[in-house]
Amino acid sequence: MAIKKLLFASLLICSMIQSSHGATKERLFTDLEKGALEITATPSRTGEGVVLAAGIDKLSITWKVSSTATKEPEFKTIKVKLCYAPISQVDRPWRKTENELFKDKSCPHKISSFSYDPTVKTAQSFDYTLERDIPTGTYYVRAYAVDAKDHEVAFGQSTNQDKTTNLFSVQAISGRHKSLDIASVCFSVFSVVALLVFFVNEKRKAKIEQSK
Amino acid sequence: MGDSTGDTGSSMHGVSTDKTGKYDLPVDLEDRATVFKLFSFAKPHMRTFHLSWISFSTCFVSTFAAAPLVPIIRENLNLTKQDVGNAGVASVSGSIFSRLVMGAVCDLLGPRYGCAFLVMLSAPTVFSMSCVSGAAGFITVRFMIGFCLATFVSCQYWMSTMFTSKIIGLVNGTAAGWGNMGGGITQLLMPVVYEIIRRCGATAFTAWRIAFFVPGWLHIIMGILVLTLGQDLPGGNRKAVEKKGKVVQDKLGKIMWCAVSNYRTWIFVLLYGYSMGVELSTDNVIAEYFFDRFHLKLHTAGIIAASFGMANFFARPAGGYASDIAAKYFGMRGRLWALWIIQTAGGLFCVWLGLANTLVTAIVAMILFSLGAQAACGATFAIVPFVSRRSLGIISGLTGAGGNFGSGLTQLIFFSTSQFTTEQGLTWMGVMIVACTLPVMLIHFPQWGSMFRPPSTDPVKGTAEYYYVSEWNEEEKQKNMHQGSVAFAINAKSEDGRNAPSTITV
Repeated sequence: MAIKKLLFASLLICSMIQSSHGATKERLFTDLEKGALEITATPSRTGEGVVLAAGIDKLSITWKVSSTATKEPEFKTIKVKLCYAPISQVDRPWRKTENELFKDKSCPHKISSFSYDPTVKTAQSFDYTLERDIPTGTYYVRAYAVDAKDHEVAFGQSTNQDKTTNLFSVQAISGRHKSLDIASVCFSVFSVVALLVFFVNEKRKAKIEQSK
Repeated sequence: MGDSTGDTGSSMHGVSTDKTGKYDLPVDLEDRATVFKLFSFAKPHMRTFHLSWISFSTCFVSTFAAAPLVPIIRENLNLTKQDVGNAGVASVSGSIFSRLVMGAVCDLLGPRYGCAFLVMLSAPTVFSMSCVSGAAGFITVRFMIGFCLATFVSCQYWMSTMFTSKIIGLVNGTAAGWGNMGGGITQLLMPVVYEIIRRCGATAFTAWRIAFFVPGWLHIIMGILVLTLGQDLPGGNRKAVEKKGKVVQDKLGKIMWCAVSNYRTWIFVLLYGYSMGVELSTDNVIAEYFFDRFHLKLHTAGIIAASFGMANFFARPAGGYASDIAAKYFGMRGRLWALWIIQTAGGLFCVWLGLANTLVTAIVAMILFSLGAQAACGATFAIVPFVSRRSLGIISGLTGAGGNFGSGLTQLIFFSTSQFTTEQGLTWMGVMIVACTLPVMLIHFPQWGSMFRPPSTDPVKGTAEYYYVSEWNEEEKQKNMHQGSVAFAINAKSEDGRNAPSTITV
């Protein structure tokens, strides 16, 4: 009984430690400075109904710090991410937008991360080829400005507040290969044939035994 | 497996049952082993045990192989929450039908062919997972792979032919528990295999497809082993023993009627739906739950999810063992009480799991829930062999099917819609477990009693022999088809509790 009491007590302590951990104030998205970074993302192919191919098509991303940015001295790193547009979040709770930054899952795909050089005042750009593990969906680009404590302080995105403009669609790779399909068929056939061979063989042996 | 003619037909009247000269282990009147030697591989009893649980485990590995990889698969195939939930329902639905069929197959053709055929014919379905490209394909393939869970029936059936009733709770519990462990092993195995393949250079969306070849190969290997090393009965393979005139061919219609007209069958179908059924549902949702709710990495979520399924290693045998201990002191009534207590406790822990807000409490609740649910499965199959002697296969099949039906239903109601979050679904599932376990109070055996009623005092109808022999009509008794039931009834005296004879040397 003493052991049980000890176990129960340690359980209680552990759960209390866990819950107290979450008592510190969580950092919220709404606290970040909006529009501090001006960012545009231009797909390599544009037009009505164009769907970009993952692994092939590129985005040309141009960014600069807005003249209205107030937290600019704190910027240490710029993290650029690919984010889901609302239409790609429907019926998919694992892509949900949350105000608490650590819970937010709407921007899981890292595009690039580089340190901020305050001396360069002009717009900078770079190219990004869509990775082969980007799922099918509709996206926009967001850049976070991160301070020395690795906390986000400001952001900018290539779409408007409601996330309805300048969106682009991506089609994922299928992941299938002809060699996989062939291997799969071969092993399947082997399994069925091996079974039949055993079965027929045994029946034959039983018949021979019986006729003895 | 009764003896109609031949030398063993008269062995029930005063002959010593120790045949250690012929077999590695001591046996009873029906050549079934009376002890359980875990680390032996001796023919035929222990070898059957190991072949049986490993092939069943392989089927669990392949049926739930998709679950820990869902975070990757859902992105590759562009699945919605409904698609993922429906695939989970599909994965357990196929075997509702196949478990019923397997019951009949075992009764008619023997468990060795049943097991081998199923395992080898479902290998193509596992390989075809690498070719799916959308939600429809994913759901269809998970449905087809799920058929192989019918090896549960061949496993339990095979154990019941090889081991005597006094230890059947422990044996069935261990074989099935270790088989169910496959549901836990897969949560560890598949993410690790996936990770290795990815590091060898494959992209994420190709790596998971290649990973499915591993369970596929396991199917082929186990099928071949069962065919080459297994045997149906202690005395040999069914066809050979039948031809020697020792085993009687029974009629499908008769055994079906015997199973279906016994109300206890249906109560067990419901009960198992809420012990095994919830275990299967949890196997499908738990990794994704920990990944999404507590922001863990894929393989971390996999490790936690694995511990749910791996608890089967001792939980299910413990349930069977607890049932056997309860039977030693209180007979069948003890078994029924043990089942109710264990399954209800599992339900309460499931409620707690859904309410847990922190990672540590969630893990603790999950482990306690797994112990309760899995021990309840063991305790269920410690009683099922006593419901009927003639239709053991079909009743095992129906109960097993009930497990899957319960799983499909629970996943459909609680985990496939946007109406409940996963944590709410878990809580409500726990409530449903407690409610659906209450009918165990209705199970009454005239010869042994029930939870609240003592056994019947009628000198004829209150005997085990009457209960089991009444499954045969006069015509069949004339042909001596019921002798197996008579032998079974004698061995079943162990369920009388403290009044039972200490050894069976009739």
